Amino acid sequence: MARPTPRVRFPKSVTAGVPFRVRTRITHPMHTGLLHDRDGKPVPRRIINRFSVRFDGEVAISVELERAVSADPYFEFEMAVPESGELEFEWVDDDGSIYGLSKRVSVNPG
Amino acid sequence: MALTRRDVLRLGGAAAAAMLPCGAQAASNRVEEAIAQFSGGATPRDGGVVLEVPEIADNGGAVPVRVAAEGARRIALFADGNPSPGVVVFAFGSLATPAASTRIRLAGSQNVIAVAELADGTFRKTTRAIVVTAGGCG
Repeated sequence: MARPTPRVRFPKSVTAGVPFRVRTRITHPMHTGLLHDRDGKPVPRRIINRFSVRFDGEVAISVELERAVSADPYFEFEMAVPESGELEFEWVDDDGSIYGLSKRVSVNPG
Repeated sequence: MALTRRDVLRLGGAAAAAMLPCGAQAASNRVEEAIAQFSGGATPRDGGVVLEVPEIADNGGAVPVRVAAEGARRIALFADGNPSPGVVVFAFGSLATPAASTRIRLAGSQNVIAVAELADGTFRKTTRAIVVTAGGCG
């Protein structure tokens, strides 16, 4: 399996305290563990089981995923920040891998 | 069965048929138990949770869902016709608006239930029926 690739989108600059939209996605097959391959062997469960977004360390949203979340898990939500800072995104894989991404969010001056 | 599941997957689109087998799953789904576990035994009152889903989903492998509930600390999604009832749980910190969108897998036509834990510790729920035309059951 190719290494999962995370992607996030949010506005380059935002207004302090005003909610802005955040969209996230990571490439991942989200194997349910219920399927078999062509040779009849079960494909073991392997999903992203947790996703979280922090702003300068403070958790804005955290998500527990079950196997009924679609492949390439996609999440969209809104959040606000009081000042410029770092948005830290983290996806946790069943196999123990953690995929992280950090991006600066800038608050408009004035 | 002549077709392997992989064949079914190829025919139906890789993501669409993600939750075979479908035959005996509903009886063992235990969605009420899953909701009770989320709510700590409290019975959620009906209403007060926004749950936006399509009435008809062409692709059961990726059904768009949006949930929202004023003042919610957590919102969980359940599906009563999947092999297991749990779908996803969102926990919102104070920076986030208590609303989220995602895409979920549905093995066939069924009810999707959103349960919200509000700031005062009470639970609310909204149920929507979804017709899946190409779900995990082909």
